[in-house]
Amino acid sequence: MIGNFTHSLSAWLVNISIAMTALRTNLMRSILTTLGVMIGVFAVTLAVAVGSGAQVSVMQSINALGSNMALVFPQPDSEGGSRSNFDRGRLTMRDARAIEKQIDGITQIAPQLRTNIQLVVAGRNASTIAIGATPGYADVANVAADTGRFISEADVRSAARVVVLGPSVARKLFGGFDPIGETVRINRAPFTIVGVLESKGSSFGNDNDDLAIMPISTTRQRFAGDSLAGPDDLQMLFVGFEDGVSLSRAKRQLTALLRDRNRVRDNEINPFTIRTTEEFMKETGQVTSIFQIVLVAIASISLLVGGIGIMNIMLVSVTERTREIGLRMALGAKRSDIRNQFLVEAAVLCVIGGVMGLILAFASGFALTKYADFPVPIGLSVAIGAILFSAAVGLIFGGYPAIRASRLSPIEALRSE
Amino acid sequence: MALVEVRDLVKNFILGDEIVRAVDGVSLSIDKGEYVAIMGASGSGKSTFMNMIGCLDVPTSGEVRIDDIATSEMDSDALAELRNQKIGFVFQQFNLLARTTALDNVAVPLIYAGLNTADRRDKAKAKLEEMGLGDRLDHSPAKLSGGQQQRVAIARALVTEPLILLADEPTGALDTKTSEDIMQIFESLNDAGITIIVVTHEEDIAQHAHRNIHFRDGKVIEDKPVIDRRSTKDDR
Ligand SMILES: Nc1ncnc2c1ncn2[C@@H]1O[C@H](COP(=O)(O)OP(=O)(O)OP(=O)(O)O)[C@@H](O)[C@H]1O
Ligand SMILES: [Mg+2]
Repeated sequence: MIGNFTHSLSAWLVNISIAMTALRTNLMRSILTTLGVMIGVFAVTLAVAVGSGAQVSVMQSINALGSNMALVFPQPDSEGGSRSNFDRGRLTMRDARAIEKQIDGITQIAPQLRTNIQLVVAGRNASTIAIGATPGYADVANVAADTGRFISEADVRSAARVVVLGPSVARKLFGGFDPIGETVRINRAPFTIVGVLESKGSSFGNDNDDLAIMPISTTRQRFAGDSLAGPDDLQMLFVGFEDGVSLSRAKRQLTALLRDRNRVRDNEINPFTIRTTEEFMKETGQVTSIFQIVLVAIASISLLVGGIGIMNIMLVSVTERTREIGLRMALGAKRSDIRNQFLVEAAVLCVIGGVMGLILAFASGFALTKYADFPVPIGLSVAIGAILFSAAVGLIFGGYPAIRASRLSPIEALRSE
Repeated sequence: MALVEVRDLVKNFILGDEIVRAVDGVSLSIDKGEYVAIMGASGSGKSTFMNMIGCLDVPTSGEVRIDDIATSEMDSDALAELRNQKIGFVFQQFNLLARTTALDNVAVPLIYAGLNTADRRDKAKAKLEEMGLGDRLDHSPAKLSGGQQQRVAIARALVTEPLILLADEPTGALDTKTSEDIMQIFESLNDAGITIIVVTHEEDIAQHAHRNIHFRDGKVIEDKPVIDRRSTKDDR
C-alpha cells in the first residue's frame, strides 16, 4: 500500500518533470497558452470577489441601520387586503407606546419625524435631513455621539433647540473646528450644537453621515407644520428587538396589534407598512446573488476560451511528439502512462496560469478596495477554489488530447515523422 | 527451449484497394542465447517481422510466442509490460529524447518499470559506464557522436535486463569503424547470454551472427547457420 503510493507519487513527479521539460522547449507557446488561462482565472476570481464585495457592502449598510429591528411607517400597504379604506396612513405616538407595552422582546422604540432642513452658520450653509428623535434612537439605530452628547429626555420634554450633527454636516459647516457649543441657524431659528455623531461611512455612494438629529418635540413644533394629520402623528417608528427574537413573528404581532388599534376590518388593507431588517437582508441578498451569478457567468466565458486554447495547444503537442509517444510505448509505457503524462502537462499549464491569474486578481482586488472604496475580498477559499478550478480546466480540456495520445498504436507512432 | 516462436505469421497492409503482404506465412523459432541476423532486400518484410516479434505491431494472423507466452491474448497493458521487462529495442535512428541527458534517456524504461528516482539513476549510470560512457552522463544527444548515441540507446535497451535485444539496422546510420564497435558490444552481450536479433543489409554485419535468415517478399527463403563466423576478436 505504502510502496504503491510512493510508486505512484514518483510517477507523478516524473510526469511533472517531463511536462516542465516539454513546456520549456516551447517556452513562448507555453506562455501564450498560460496567458489565456490566466486571464480566465483572473476574470472569474475577480467576479466572485466583486460579487461577494457587493454582498458585504449591502449587509454593512443594512447593519448600519441597526441590526435587529422593524420599521413602521404610516403608508397604506396592500398586504392583507384589497379595498382602499384609508386615503392616508396612520401611526401615532399612542400606537408606539402600545407597541412598547404589549409586544415581547423589545429593547427600545424610536419614534421619529423627518424633515429637510437648511443650516446656516457664518455664511456657510448645508442642507440635510433632520431626524426628530428620542434618546432611544441612539440604541436602535446604532448611532452614538463621537464628541459632545446625544439628545436627552430633558431636551425632548422642553422641546429644546439643540441639534446633533452628522460628521459630514459638521465638516461642511465648520471644517476642522470643534462645533460643540456653537450656534447654528436652522430655517432661521438659532440652535445649539450639542454633539457630533460617530462616522458610519458610506455604502454604495450613499453618505450615512449626512444628517442631523434633534428632539422629536422640537421638530414637531417648528418644522412638521401641516404635513401631519394630528398632533400625535409619527412619520417613522423604529422598534428594536433583542437578539434572537424572530422578526417575522414580531412583524405578525405588530401587524395584528396595529390593525386592531386602527379597527381595520378583515378585507381592508393596512394603513401602515412594516419592514424588518431581516426582509431587507433577504431581498438584497437575492439581488446581489443574481448580480454575482451574472458576473461570474460572463467571466467564465473567458476561462472557456482559455480552456479551448489549452486543448488546441495540447493537440499540437501530441501531434508533434507522436514519435516520442511511440518510443515511450516501445520502452514499456502503458496507455495510462501516456495519458497521465499529457494530462499533467495540461494541468501544469493551467495551474501556472491559475496562480498568475490569482495574483493579478489579488492585486486588482487590493487596489479596488483601497482606491475605489469598494470591498473586494479574496479569501483563502476563493484562492484554493481558483487553483482547483484551473486544474480542472486542464483536466477537462487536456483530457481529449491526452486520451487521443494514449490510443496511438506503438508502431504507427514510432514510424511517424 | 524456444524463446521466440512464430507460427504462420502473416501481416497484410491495405493500401487503397491493394493488399500488401508484408509478411506472408513465416514459421520459425529462436532459442535462448542465439544471435540471429535477418537479411533481405528492401521491402522484403524484415522490419514488419521484427515489429511483431517486439510486440509493437499485431499480426493479421498467426502467432508470436515470447518466453512461452502467447502474445495474441494479451491486452495493451500486458504487452507494454512484456516490452518493458523482456525486450530491448535498438533503432537505426537511435530515437533518443532530445534535450534530455544520456542518463535520463537510459532511465526512461525504468520509469515504466516503477523504480524510484534513486534506483533509476543508479542503474542507468551503471549501464552507461558498461557502455564506456561514464564521462558522458549529463550530455544531451546533440553533444554526442553517432556511435556514442547508439551506445546510449543500447544502454537504454539493456537497462531493464531484457531477455531479447531487437536491433533494426543498428549500424545503418554509422560508419564502418563505429559499426564494428557496435558489433563488438553485441558480441559480448551475446556471450553474456542475451538473445540478439538484428536486421541488416550488410553481409559483414550478418557474419557476426550465429544464424542468418533471408527474407524475400515476406517469406523466409533461407535459414542457415553461419559457418565462417566473423568475430571482432579476430581483428586483434
Ligand atoms: N504501415 C504500413 N502501411 C503500408 N504498407 C507498409 C507499412 N509498413 C510496411 N509496409 C509495406 O510492407 C512491405 C515490407 O516493409 P518492411 O518495412 O517490413 O520492409 P523492410 O524489409 O524492413 O525494408 P527495408 O530494408 O527498406 O527497411 C513494404 O512493401 C512496405 O511498403
Ligand atoms: Mg526496415
